[in-house]
Amino acid sequence: MNQSLLKRYGLHGILIPIALLWISPLLWILVTSVKTRVEVFDASSGLLPQNFIWDNYPAAMAVAPFGTYMINSVLVTGSILACQIVTISLAAFAFARLTFPCKNLIFSLFLLQIMFPIYAIFLTNFITVRELGLLNSLPAMVVPFIASGYGTFMLRQAFRQVPTELADAARLDGCGHFATLWHVYLPLVKPTLVAFAIISVVTHWNDYMWPLLVTNSESVRTLPIGLGLLAKSDSGADWTRLMAATVIVVSPLLLLFVVFQRRFVDSFMHAGLK
Amino acid sequence: MSMRINFFKPKHDTMVAVFMLLPSLVFLAAFTYWPIIRSIYFSFHDVMLGSDKIFFLGWENYERVLQDSLFWKSFRNTAFYTLITIPVAIICALLLAVALDTKIRAVALYRSIFFYPVMIPSVAAGMVWVFLYAPGYGPINGMMEFLGLPKLEWLYSSDWALPAIMVMSVWKYSGYFMLILLAALQLVPRDLYEAARLDGVSAWHQLIHITIPLISPTLYFVIIIGILHSYQIFDYVYVMTQGGPADATNVLTLYIYQNAFQYQDIGFASTVANMLLLFIGGLIAVIASTIGRHVHYLGK
Repeated sequence: MNQSLLKRYGLHGILIPIALLWISPLLWILVTSVKTRVEVFDASSGLLPQNFIWDNYPAAMAVAPFGTYMINSVLVTGSILACQIVTISLAAFAFARLTFPCKNLIFSLFLLQIMFPIYAIFLTNFITVRELGLLNSLPAMVVPFIASGYGTFMLRQAFRQVPTELADAARLDGCGHFATLWHVYLPLVKPTLVAFAIISVVTHWNDYMWPLLVTNSESVRTLPIGLGLLAKSDSGADWTRLMAATVIVVSPLLLLFVVFQRRFVDSFMHAGLK
Repeated sequence: MSMRINFFKPKHDTMVAVFMLLPSLVFLAAFTYWPIIRSIYFSFHDVMLGSDKIFFLGWENYERVLQDSLFWKSFRNTAFYTLITIPVAIICALLLAVALDTKIRAVALYRSIFFYPVMIPSVAAGMVWVFLYAPGYGPINGMMEFLGLPKLEWLYSSDWALPAIMVMSVWKYSGYFMLILLAALQLVPRDLYEAARLDGVSAWHQLIHITIPLISPTLYFVIIIGILHSYQIFDYVYVMTQGGPADATNVLTLYIYQNAFQYQDIGFASTVANMLLLFIGGLIAVIASTIGRHVHYLGK
């Protein structure tokens, strides 16, 4: 008994310092955002600010149109997710429940997309998007992500778990494939849809490289791009305002994460399971 | 009208399937397959950004790439980053997952603390670490001084800039890998550990001989995911160092970007992109034929 107690506390003894190390960048952002500029550069002023200065937040909001960025981020992330749900539901249903020629070959073509993330093929995609006349528009940030091999894979696994009797019953009631998909399959795989939605939103809300390449005006920029621009002009000069801006940018997802912790953790946890 | 009714009957599976796959296939074709084909085509041609003229070059771009010292430097940096960061992050993740797969208190809190960096945009993460690494007033050097260690120039030093970015990447990704591994650990039957403990098997040997073999499919999956995530180094390098100092942190994705958008040389940039795809593809093939063969699947 004594030994297991020691073991238990020993584990905390190892985990607590690591956890503090892990959380310290976030604490550093928060603390700096309420400091004065002088305190940042003065090593003798200690870790905590003398007084909590909230002025950095309005200053950050005033220096760049974060409201517009936020709206663009919501529009882009929301459109990607809405389109993905349609494409992956249809494709996953076909792979899970229909018989057609070359099924395995076509499925592996879908999986191929996982091997070629946008970071690997951004250059020729940029040229395609430019030829389509989409540069510097919100759709440019959406179109490469509408089809999702990963989402199709995830949903196909879930559809396969649905008992075929249910689909047969729906068929007898006169439902076609589309009606069966809508009325029987989709309601039954809601947890998988939520898990996919969370992963998709986290990924695309945070996207940096692709939106950076295809946008060049304030009206279409998203939050990470706006923050990057501010960083270029502010870093080394005004860390307090920059950190306040960082808090504004990271807080939507972090707040959602804190509120729906279980959901978020479960989604990412089972993302790897086949 | 009658056609419509036929269309929804099960014997027309193929037609329905085509209809259901078409939306995905159109976008996959336009934004995954076409760019790959085009990148191969461009690499054999002289293509400039914003110009319609294309000249056939044969293997010239490839010869140029192989003799380009900056390409090799970016290649070495990319390989160094991937081959060190991913194993280190996975080992950290595995140890954290094993520690959290116990009945200790505050498991959920620990899990969230290790996982939250995944929620932070790469640009924000990169920027904050620029601040943490700042040579004069940054807290990391403050800590070094406190511990009696020499202060370093970090991102301004050609020796330390890349390792500094790698440390940040481990912080950013370990929590993600940890969660996926935790899910697998929870499926390992508890009585196996119980039996091993009764036989006097040490915790280390339990990890090596029971845990790792039983979660090897997930471990394998995490390695592949990790390699694919390593592409994202572009964001960190772009925000933190712009490839500097003296190209010490230039990586292939950034080198593609520079060639395409600064020198407008799409043909050469495509050639570098193909070399990157070859490297990542080759790495995955090597892993599939070595580690992939030793993966144990439970059940069947």
